[in-house]
Amino acid sequence: MNENILEARHLAKSYPGVQALQDVSLDIRQNTVHCIVGENGAGKSTFIKILTCAEERTSGQIFYKGREYRPRSIREAMNEGISTLFQELTVVNQLTVEQNLTLGREKSWCGVLRKPDPVEGVFRFLRDFAPDISLQAKVSSLSYAEKQVLEIVKAFGVEANLIIMDEPTAALSEQETKRLFSVIRDLKNRQITVIYISHILDDIFSIGDYVTVFRDGRVISTSKVTEIGKEDLIRMMIGKAVNENYVPRPVDQAQKVLEVRDLATDKLRNISFDLHRGEIIGFYGLRGAGKSEIGYALYGLDVVKAGTIRIKGRLARFALPKDSLRRGIAMIPEERLSEGIIPKLPIRSNISITNLRKLATLGVVSAKLERQTAEKYARLMSIKARSIEQRAATLSGGNQQKVVVSKCLNAESRILIMDEPTRGIDVGAKEEIHKIIRDLAGQGVAIMIFSSEYPEIVNLCDRIFLLSEGEIVKVLDNMDADAEQIMHLITKGRRNKGEA
Amino acid sequence: MKPGSGFSQKIVIVGVLVLIVGVLAVLSREFLTITNLTNVTRQVAFVVITGSAVTLLMISGNFDLSIGSILGLTGMFSAFFVSAGLPLWLSLIASTLIGTATGLLNGVMVVLLKIPSIIATLGTMYAARGLALVITGGNSIHLGLGPHFTLLGRGFLGPLPIMLVITLVILAIFFFIESKTILGKYSFAIGGNKRTALLSGINVGAIVILLYVLVGTLAGFSGTLMASRLGVGQAMVGQGFEFDVIVAIILGGTSLEGGEGSVFGMLIGAFIVGFIANGLNLLGIHSFYQSILKGAVLVGAVLLDRAFKERIKG
Repeated sequence: MNENILEARHLAKSYPGVQALQDVSLDIRQNTVHCIVGENGAGKSTFIKILTCAEERTSGQIFYKGREYRPRSIREAMNEGISTLFQELTVVNQLTVEQNLTLGREKSWCGVLRKPDPVEGVFRFLRDFAPDISLQAKVSSLSYAEKQVLEIVKAFGVEANLIIMDEPTAALSEQETKRLFSVIRDLKNRQITVIYISHILDDIFSIGDYVTVFRDGRVISTSKVTEIGKEDLIRMMIGKAVNENYVPRPVDQAQKVLEVRDLATDKLRNISFDLHRGEIIGFYGLRGAGKSEIGYALYGLDVVKAGTIRIKGRLARFALPKDSLRRGIAMIPEERLSEGIIPKLPIRSNISITNLRKLATLGVVSAKLERQTAEKYARLMSIKARSIEQRAATLSGGNQQKVVVSKCLNAESRILIMDEPTRGIDVGAKEEIHKIIRDLAGQGVAIMIFSSEYPEIVNLCDRIFLLSEGEIVKVLDNMDADAEQIMHLITKGRRNKGEA
Repeated sequence: MKPGSGFSQKIVIVGVLVLIVGVLAVLSREFLTITNLTNVTRQVAFVVITGSAVTLLMISGNFDLSIGSILGLTGMFSAFFVSAGLPLWLSLIASTLIGTATGLLNGVMVVLLKIPSIIATLGTMYAARGLALVITGGNSIHLGLGPHFTLLGRGFLGPLPIMLVITLVILAIFFFIESKTILGKYSFAIGGNKRTALLSGINVGAIVILLYVLVGTLAGFSGTLMASRLGVGQAMVGQGFEFDVIVAIILGGTSLEGGEGSVFGMLIGAFIVGFIANGLNLLGIHSFYQSILKGAVLVGAVLLDRAFKERIKG
């Protein structure tokens, strides 16, 4: 069968300051498993959101079963037979399996529920796939994998022709993954097409028919899985994976500002590293590898179970972020809008908030000092705004991030933790932020960068720590970094997980 | 007032107040008299005193339903202490501190025990009222209060009622806290985005507890003033007071999610409610209707405010 169930033509999506998708054209063939790969921020999720109508496209066309497809709501997309399996499951824990499967499609006499027909397609489908899941079981008693199967069955229940799966194996053990794959193969036999999004290249080679690579909001290529190698995929995903913008810095190994030894939290094991004055180190790994968690441990957010943190040789323990800030550590969090800025407040307040005590006498804040401080950083970072009284919510992503960097510097921090410093920021502003980072290091600030964008890591960091499953698997000097080897290292170990 | 700090909101609310005053002045000859205005001010004073602290609390995204009960409890205690022979000043301090302690209890429940603020303070609301009833046995305390007990509530300082002076002082303090102090700025930050506030090194828990303590203290102080004004200690005083305060604050443009609002807005809101009640009394309209109107004004003001905001954005 060679018919295309879905054709996208010149799709584009832009947010204020961000071009998330550009000129995306793509064919999905009937009865295939079509994989989509790409780094975080490559545009995969945006593409999916447009298909399911969670986001509106800016321009472009989609043809579905030969007709132009322009759903106005998620409901309408579902009625057309497009169903999505999101990473966050949408099953209702408090209900039974049966109630979940019929949710929203209950049969009733004038509002009084009727017993569902036990031979109805969806129940038969459940028996075929997962005979051990009882219809009367409470969903809260099921494992994550079982819930996922339930979700797939539910999609089948709404007579889906196309099921979109977003990182479906991220939380599954090896055995559960195998079962999911057999479910996916079975879907193919039932004339259902699957769009499969994943970071894990091994998955693609086990289950995929076609693979499309996204990068920087564009389609790089689409090919048959049998005609492409893993190395080619990696190369296409990360693009110019060369450290062409990296400028080696003389790092004074004698000035150790941070020493972490055998750090462990719920999500981390045996994390040890040193950070020197003026050095930039990078932590690279897949989602869930433990990047943010290192930041949380150093910033008083996660409980440190074992290990030591020394700042300039002195032992440190942090119960709250304020303790870390006082010792000169500041964090730029991953979620800019919900953790970095206070959208309702003006730039001035957002910057001064980390160090109001410095601007105050006996609890009374000097308006003049506060304004001067904010203006100093607005100038230093070249924040583009009408004035420092502009609300942070109305700034572009890049300028918001500059506000966050400013507030960290205002706390007089000598160690900066930057979690995904340029996520969702357009290319020009990205370069600006990178320049700011290099300048700060030049002034002696020690910087840790957590990023899932390989070019960012390789262009900024003096040393690169590869993370997998909450452990450091390798440390590389920038000059020794090799993209393919790195991708191998960070995807390894993913499959060795048993049922915990 | 700076642009961006809810300036437009303040114009709307002041406009509504002026409109109400205008209409009432036309409809009733007695309305714009010194006696009547003093009278309204006295009634509104309790809402304004407690509301000053509650505004900050609500700006921080928290809620307190127990203030009416605290008012009843501390008012009862102030009469109880005096009738038991305590000097007036000591009983004033002691009963206010009972309000402080109740506020601390609220803060601890919300912050340390992580009980949602509506539930925690609802619990306090019932318990404090019950405690007041238990201690008085349901009776009012009016014997042995002495001639000076009503001084604060009814007395004058020169030409000005003492209540008015107290209210102005507290308002001034809270205007100052809101706009000039770390506490004020932290309240906006916590209400604007709690997570960011925490990550910015603010001890969110400690600030929220402090705000509850402030609210408890001022509610306690209002209670003793109320007892002084009434000349009696009664357990059931202040029923529904919490809603008068919350209505004034919301009319004043404080967002229920927090992060926005002002003590100034609360002041105007309190007068809007006060004038409406007063005007309807003067016009001889039954208090049952007043309640209906109060509800309509609340919802109407929020709609008006939103319409105005959207026009500015668009």
